[in-house]
Amino acid sequence: MKRWIPIAVIVLAAAAVPLLLNPTGYWIRVFTFTLLFAAMAQAWNLIGGLANQLSLGHAAFFGIGAYTSTILLLKFGISPWLGMFAGGALGGVAALIIAIPTMRLQGHYFALATLAFGEVARVIANVWTSLTGGPVGLSVPFVPPGFAAYSFKQLLPHAYIALIALIIVTAIFEVIRRGAMGYRLRAIRENAAAAEVIGIDTTKVKLQTAVISGVLIAMLGTLYAQVAVFFDPDTVFNAMSISIRVALIAIIGGVGTAIGPILGALFIVPVEELMNDLFSAGAAGLSQLIFGVILIVVILWRPRGLVTVIEALRTWLRGKGAQS
Amino acid sequence: MSKTSSTRGGINRRTALAGTASLIAAPWISSTARAQAKPVNIGVIMPLSGANAQFGINSRNGIELVADEINAAGGIRSLGGAKINLIVADSTSTPTTAGTVAQRMISQNEVTAILGAFASSLTIAISEVTERRDIPLLTMSFADQITGRGYKNIFQVVAKASALGKAQLDYTVAIAQAAGTKIDKIAIMYEDTAYGTAQAEGLRAAAKAANIQLVMDDAYPLGITDTTPLINKLRASGAQAVFPVSYLNDSLLLIRTMRQQRITIPAIGGAAGYVIPDFEKGLGEFAEGVLSIAPANYDLDTSLTDRFRKRFGYFMVHEALEHAVALDVLVQAIEKAKSAKAEDVTLALRGAKFTGGWTNAMTGGAVQFDNTGLNVASIPVMVQWRKKELVTVWPKDVAKGAAEWKF
Repeated sequence: MKRWIPIAVIVLAAAAVPLLLNPTGYWIRVFTFTLLFAAMAQAWNLIGGLANQLSLGHAAFFGIGAYTSTILLLKFGISPWLGMFAGGALGGVAALIIAIPTMRLQGHYFALATLAFGEVARVIANVWTSLTGGPVGLSVPFVPPGFAAYSFKQLLPHAYIALIALIIVTAIFEVIRRGAMGYRLRAIRENAAAAEVIGIDTTKVKLQTAVISGVLIAMLGTLYAQVAVFFDPDTVFNAMSISIRVALIAIIGGVGTAIGPILGALFIVPVEELMNDLFSAGAAGLSQLIFGVILIVVILWRPRGLVTVIEALRTWLRGKGAQS
Repeated sequence: MSKTSSTRGGINRRTALAGTASLIAAPWISSTARAQAKPVNIGVIMPLSGANAQFGINSRNGIELVADEINAAGGIRSLGGAKINLIVADSTSTPTTAGTVAQRMISQNEVTAILGAFASSLTIAISEVTERRDIPLLTMSFADQITGRGYKNIFQVVAKASALGKAQLDYTVAIAQAAGTKIDKIAIMYEDTAYGTAQAEGLRAAAKAANIQLVMDDAYPLGITDTTPLINKLRASGAQAVFPVSYLNDSLLLIRTMRQQRITIPAIGGAAGYVIPDFEKGLGEFAEGVLSIAPANYDLDTSLTDRFRKRFGYFMVHEALEHAVALDVLVQAIEKAKSAKAEDVTLALRGAKFTGGWTNAMTGGAVQFDNTGLNVASIPVMVQWRKKELVTVWPKDVAKGAAEWKF
């Protein structure tokens, strides 16, 4: 029972933050994207953290989600809420199709294969102009505001939807990690051959994880599209700004832990914004350079992620408690 | 009685004193009021990092030149000499980031208007934010849907991509005809970005209207590293002229591969990478004679554009020039509105005709926005590389030199 208290405090604190921010302003947008990227990194964490398969192609599923709901809205007037599930289903199918040939690959080979799939998705979206609108991108139309239509004048509702999404994805992650599937995944991660010997169908478990991860990030693609309002193939199928960024957030935060992606997003998204705010008026590219240096320093300082800071804090507090 | 008079006398003395004091202080007060007139914040969002950084820097240079000149000349007169305060930020190459930056400028810097952001996808992302917050956005991005969506707060100072593509073909046909060549087979190569596809669309439509056969019509990804297959295809196609539409690196690679393989048919570029100093620097003698369409060119009014060359050391590239025009027009609108409020400025911009100042360097010598926000006074020009400089060669009424059509 006691272990729920800190979680409840964190959730309540996160729920209070948007109320303190200007509802049409800048920081609420940053906060919303922070929550969204935390949720995306958490979805990636399933395959990247639990199954230990470093996917660099999650932009493919993410983009499918963003495009599916937006195209359904534009062509048939279907609410993005429904479009989100359609996108999730397609994202899951894509994840399965990609996972079947690639899951046998390990380490760098898996990473490279998934990277290629992400790029393929981008090229398809660019070329298939009749469906996707091609390189000029899609604008989410502004329909009369309302919850059912997933249309709001302010960013406040978007912030709460992103927060709820993060809670759901984190809960799914925790349930899987603690359940039988989590044990199987850990067994595979430690020693795939030994896992096979004790009767784990390693391929099946990995495929299941890949599909769940793909479904979740595709659904988050819809949320992203609704907040960003405009996107093109380069935005949502981008290896750098989606696939690698999502992996980076989980890795900086602490891969394989539930709190890792959240810490990672809380660090990366606002710091990158702050650097842009402070330095981008100066020499061109300076803000990104400084951001890169900060990232390197953090990785050197905490190679196993920011989550180790919390662990260190906890041990230190316990040590203090023992002394007194 | 005496009481009253003494009181009255006291008042008189005080009034007199206060009056004198205020008289003495008046010039000082009014001069400080002028010096302290609240500066007008104008947002500048450009890609200052990533693949389009050079274009973003060029644009920023053009804007800074005009802002400094206006500030040095006493600021915005109708606002008591208010200075222009540019808020510059990097959009990176991600549209979502560009949108976030716009949001920041609107809510934290209370900008009157935003200028940006070179690449069409970035501009569209920014427009989604400015439209919802009713902030005017002035741009030189080409894409048709910038002013094609019925938005009220967007102003495009150049001709649209489809118009550029059409002019790219029509002018070429006219130039070839003047040189005694009839064109009936052409090749199009374009990068698969918003700009490339939109302009190719215009080229295609114009070719169809002119009954010209497209013997090659190929898209390729931005950042292509090997253009040999494209050039081989071009050689086999038997085209009389090639129309490549691309940013810088691709343009260098395409033209170099072509010339190295001794394909000497005229190349007519689609602005962007074909009309900046780096094109000539990268290609050397291969650049000589290459034609390109451009939304504007610096030789139309060198008295203005030489100021840029003097300060930055290279000719005033078209994106710098058009952004300079955009800022000039914006300041004229603020002068006219006598207000730095976004909605007043939008009202002053819409439907109005602006002349004088930097608009002299535009074709048509003016800027006039229609109801969609498009500058209807602007028509594209054809330019040609001559000894490290770009010469306007078409249309004839604005040309500074005759086109060379011999290869």
